[in-house]
Amino acid sequence: MSQEVTPVVSMRHITMQFPGVLANDDVSLDIRKGEIFALVGENGAGKSTLMNILYGMYTPTDGEVLVRGERLFRFDPNEAIRHGIGMVHQHFMLVPSFTVAQNIVLNTEPRRGLFYDFRRANQIVEELVQEYGLAVRPTDTVRDISVGLQQRVEILKALYRGADILILDEPTAVLTPQETDELFDVIRSIVRIRQMTVIIITHKLNEVMAISDRVGVMRQGKLIGVCQTCDVNERILASMMVGKDVLMEPFIREKTKATEPALVVENLSVLDNRGLPAVRGLSLKVFPGEILGIAGIEGNGQSELAEAVTGMRHVQSGQIRILNRDVTGMDPAQIRALGVSHVPEDRIQTGLSGKSDIVDNLVVGREKEPQFSIRGFHLKKKRMKEYAEELSANFDIRGGGIHTPTQSLSGGNMQKVLVAREFSSGSRVMIISQPSRGVDVGAMDFIHRQIMEKRSEGCAILLISADLDELYRLSDRLCTIYEGSITGEFDPSVTEKREVGLYMTGRGEEAGHE
Amino acid sequence: MSDARKKYLLSLFSSILMALVIGAVIMAVSGHNPLEGYAVLITGAFGSERSIGNTLYKTAQLCITGIATAVASQGGIFNVGGEGQMYLGAIASCWLGAALNGTSPWLAIPLCLLAAILAGALYAWIPAILKIKLNISEVITTILMNSIAIYFCTYLANGPLKTTEKGIVSGTASLDRAFRFSRLIKGSNLTQTVFMIAVVTLLVWYLMSRTTTGFGMKLTGENSRFARYAGLNAGMLGILGMLISGAMCGMLGMFECFGLQTRFKTDFSNEFYFDGMLVAMIMQYRPLGIILMSFFFGALKIGAVSMQSQTGISSELILIIQSVIIFFMAAQEGLLASLGRHSSARRANRMRGGVKS
Amino acid sequence: MNLGTIFSLSTLLNTVNTSTIVILAALGCLMTDQAGIMCIGIDGMIIIGAFAGAMGSWLCGSWVMGLVFALAAGLLSGLFYGVLVIRYHSDEFIIGVAFNLFAQALTTFLLRTLIGQSGSFHPTTGEVVKIPVLQLGRVGDTQVQISIMVLLAWFLVLAMWVFLYKTPQGFWLHASGEHPESLRSVGRSPEKQRYFASLGCGLLCTLAGAYLSMGYLSTFTENMSASKGYVAVACVIFGRSNPLIVFFATLLFGFIEAAGLRMQGFIDPTLTATFPYVGTILMMVFLALRQRTRRGHRAAK
Repeated sequence: MSQEVTPVVSMRHITMQFPGVLANDDVSLDIRKGEIFALVGENGAGKSTLMNILYGMYTPTDGEVLVRGERLFRFDPNEAIRHGIGMVHQHFMLVPSFTVAQNIVLNTEPRRGLFYDFRRANQIVEELVQEYGLAVRPTDTVRDISVGLQQRVEILKALYRGADILILDEPTAVLTPQETDELFDVIRSIVRIRQMTVIIITHKLNEVMAISDRVGVMRQGKLIGVCQTCDVNERILASMMVGKDVLMEPFIREKTKATEPALVVENLSVLDNRGLPAVRGLSLKVFPGEILGIAGIEGNGQSELAEAVTGMRHVQSGQIRILNRDVTGMDPAQIRALGVSHVPEDRIQTGLSGKSDIVDNLVVGREKEPQFSIRGFHLKKKRMKEYAEELSANFDIRGGGIHTPTQSLSGGNMQKVLVAREFSSGSRVMIISQPSRGVDVGAMDFIHRQIMEKRSEGCAILLISADLDELYRLSDRLCTIYEGSITGEFDPSVTEKREVGLYMTGRGEEAGHE
Repeated sequence: MSDARKKYLLSLFSSILMALVIGAVIMAVSGHNPLEGYAVLITGAFGSERSIGNTLYKTAQLCITGIATAVASQGGIFNVGGEGQMYLGAIASCWLGAALNGTSPWLAIPLCLLAAILAGALYAWIPAILKIKLNISEVITTILMNSIAIYFCTYLANGPLKTTEKGIVSGTASLDRAFRFSRLIKGSNLTQTVFMIAVVTLLVWYLMSRTTTGFGMKLTGENSRFARYAGLNAGMLGILGMLISGAMCGMLGMFECFGLQTRFKTDFSNEFYFDGMLVAMIMQYRPLGIILMSFFFGALKIGAVSMQSQTGISSELILIIQSVIIFFMAAQEGLLASLGRHSSARRANRMRGGVKS
Repeated sequence: MNLGTIFSLSTLLNTVNTSTIVILAALGCLMTDQAGIMCIGIDGMIIIGAFAGAMGSWLCGSWVMGLVFALAAGLLSGLFYGVLVIRYHSDEFIIGVAFNLFAQALTTFLLRTLIGQSGSFHPTTGEVVKIPVLQLGRVGDTQVQISIMVLLAWFLVLAMWVFLYKTPQGFWLHASGEHPESLRSVGRSPEKQRYFASLGCGLLCTLAGAYLSMGYLSTFTENMSASKGYVAVACVIFGRSNPLIVFFATLLFGFIEAAGLRMQGFIDPTLTATFPYVGTILMMVFLALRQRTRRGHRAAK
């Protein structure tokens, strides 16, 4: 709990203008010593930018920052470190091929003459482990350790440089629920024992309620308000984040009457990029007009499952049947030809071609259709343009006209191009991975409606997501995936989220059910 | 005209201007009068019927090699090996041509052309397949293969395939007079081949920009993972680009030998492919741009020959100017790209080929 | 064909001498690769070094000045590359290829227009003073001599290895290529590391060029780098930027070239000239195949 009134960090009238984007708009924020402060907002609200300014990674266009009453004159990580600020970024700032020790002492390496004193570096890390109780092994290569451990290395890195103000940017995005609990314990203990101040950036409101003392809400670059956590709840925070009363209304649905499944996966085994089993003997069925949700934490085989079903990954054993045809081993072109569309997890790299314009991105895969080409050879450019205009209007794609290269669009509009393409191809089976990742609430609602519409058209939809709320809203049936296998099947209308959450982490037995 | 295109044209013209200024500086520093130099450049390119013929032919040469670079690039593979492909096309067609001496040209010429195309395409196929299957950098393989091809053809021309004609020190046997392409303008390099070059260039342009194949190649070249995901056969399209590129270069080899030489000679090319490749790089592989600017650069190159003989300024100056243009444009493009960059996704290093993890 | 002629002492010496050019250039390329901005314009830097070195040596009548000229040219080249790629974010691949063509054209132009000769540089007065050679006596009927540059090159290989793996600065250089943001987040500028790498690359490559025109051969010839720069790049890729393995690769290349020279007695010289290039390609194929099997079953199609 905060004791003093004079803030340890004071950010005044911070404005940050990037080319084309006003990331922070006259933000003023005070942080008190010894508190755990949560900074929330949607993607693109400006929270990371603000904290990156505090850590000196960006120089603000306007405004000033005071740390313990002293004004920061230069924006530079060295300055921040000097003032006792440390930051654990969302994407870790670790060199994968270096060891834990080498990463922690980076730029402050102990030396013997001209040479690097590796032994002393390892020693230093041992000492840190003793002091803070965060167990890591100095000689481990960072690339080979778990994400949770990597985060600990990041935290130790900051503590080693004498940080007593610690910024954590979306720390739980990559953690399992158990690792999240451990992290929160660590945070509480370092705040208590070392009187540290912790600022945690997150968009997960349940975590905000669990850990923070005060919470600040940002929206579209502005700071909307700061509250004591005990005075608010998730619903209030959500509406502050979005600016309107957001009710994720459940959809009214008619149960499908189809008897023949459109997608059948039988005993599928698939390897990941390292040659290790990612999907083990997995089986599932999806019927036309239904949405089968797959709930799982990233890294449990869902990506590989989606890739195998769409022909982008080699199948080791098992069978995949789409609309009664055996598609195991077919390539993406053949599978698409059967009427399958795919919204991939990695939108930008896999799902779009950044350098191409919107027209090309919308038409690709279908250019040989009679409406777009004569005899599958000569392109009907005019028709392609018309089609692009139509879709842009229907899906509200903005950013400069259909000839704009896709990479110049905002993240949300890029998503829309992808969604427009995949949802307009008249497909009968859809594989959708993490549809609302990195998408703001308004766009998410739009995408959900599109998915429901495809469902009512009779499309069979396999929906893979890590967001239980989304899955609950959309799925007819829900399966959990853990370590490459289906661990449970549920009816979202009667099962508690908590129980599904347990199955997602492989602890289904604790739920006390079969 | 879209914003991006306007920026590009601005960048192009300002870079050309800057490069010409730098060219003038270089001329001055080496003790020559820049104005005089540039004046001779212009008269050298257009001053006489003969020089116009040369300029037109050079334009054609740049078109075919430039488009050859562009079509390979569109498929995602950068062909720096056109010179080698040209050599192989030349020697294959000359050897066949000499063997067919005495037969009807209507039979011989198409066959020799076919030989040239196949030789060039095959030689381009090797680095292409190495890139697609093993992810080996095509830049290195194609450049090394240039050297291999040139040495190898030299060896053949001086050894096993050397003509037995009297007085010929090196080269294959003379080609039948009936097979040779005649000149359109007396004394110039402009031969009948220019029509064929025009046809080929336009056909390939059509393929690149107006067909589903070209469309597929473009998307493959930009993001091959995306192309596969979208249902395109990325590997085949990439290889196709290289095959066409190699075929075009092989063709040029044949045209040179059958038009301007009388046999395969080891020095028949003076880095013709690299000239065209530079034009393609400057025009960022856009076919229409390449065709248009080939004329500008063709004039420069021909004019430079006169410039060299009349003022002593080496014609290499044009290459210097061309590379300076590329530097300016690359800098401007890089600056623009870094300002508009969205995700922090690191640019894939084309050279690596999956070596580093 | 007598194996003895191939594996003879003189072949060994030739190997060592030839590979020195490539090893120096490869070390330069390696630095830029570690920094994440791999320079493929090193062929051009070699030519520039060769020209500057020959000119300096001839003008001032001393090989030391030749090296000074070459190194100065190297700093300029490295700076040029660095500014374009780091400050202006240009595509290093385009800059590299264009730079090679630029350097070739520039040196040819200067030879022809400034000096008034073409093909090769033949000074009418004075000469290109060569870099000293250590005479190490006779073995059998072969005079064993190696240039001091060879020793310098070997020393630099070791020094580079120590630098990269045993000093903090080497770790910074590597971090600036593998994960620049991590370096920035602890307060060190990755851009500075990259400039350091660029300049180092320029210096090392022009040094290679200087040895080419002032040691290995004895004057400047147009286009004399003969794509050796690209061979050096291939060696760096093959050796994955580990100085010792890269060194091995360059020796391999040198050996193939030297063996080829040896075989000129019974195989046509233009044919043997292709051997090093074919060898380099085979080297890369070998590496790629090994990588593939090591990764095991390729899961992603």
